[in-house]
Amino acid sequence: MQIDTVNEGGTLIAKTEGRVDGTNAREFQEALEGVIKDADHSVILDMEQLTYISSAGLRVILLIAKALERQDVKFGVCSLSDPIREIFDISGFDKVVNVSGSQSEALSAVQG
Amino acid sequence: MSETLKLTILNRQDELNRIATEVEALGEREEWPPELVFRANLILEELGLNIINYGHDEGVHEIEIVLNSEPEFLSIEITDDGKAFDPTEDAPDPSLTAPLDERPIGGLGVHLVRSMVDEFRYKREDGRNHVALVTRRDK
Repeated sequence: MQIDTVNEGGTLIAKTEGRVDGTNAREFQEALEGVIKDADHSVILDMEQLTYISSAGLRVILLIAKALERQDVKFGVCSLSDPIREIFDISGFDKVVNVSGSQSEALSAVQG
Repeated sequence: MSETLKLTILNRQDELNRIATEVEALGEREEWPPELVFRANLILEELGLNIINYGHDEGVHEIEIVLNSEPEFLSIEITDDGKAFDPTEDAPDPSLTAPLDERPIGGLGVHLVRSMVDEFRYKREDGRNHVALVTRRDK
């Protein structure tokens, strides 16, 4: 699974795309773990190009959020489509993960 | 506009890709809003994976899926010959309010489905699980 990253003033922005479901969640997890090991200040997961995610993918995001919290690295997600935003809310993820409407909002949230 | 689509899948994880392809094609033919395509995929994946992962101790089994797309709603029926499992009752509600470091990993799938459907029924008959769900086309 491809995850493109850019560094924006110390914040690592990782872009996810396509589908994350029960068949590729492990691959998603490995790709994300590979990306965040270089993060030292903050990480943003940009979901603008993510079309579908199920509980298997949410589980990975929770694992990543926990791992980053232990490393004292700030974490946020941004640009969720309406259905993905809905399942974040239903899952109560919006209470434990910083959710922003856009990448710039997310940057001010983790850098501010 | 309406269409009934019957799918029979085997209890293997890779069958999920086939379901997703079929659901997307049906959604296109029936002009579903993107939110309904998402919801239908999520319902079938969460309930389907539960059956595939936990329904049987061994062997190849068939899972029957019937999708009925109507102008106002979509109904979904899933039938399997696995262990008795009532997703409307048997799955505990996950902890949704615990702080991050205490949040349990998993247990979300059935909760998501429950929150997204308007009707959710279960019966055990002739050694098979029958699940029937209805979700409105527009929310």
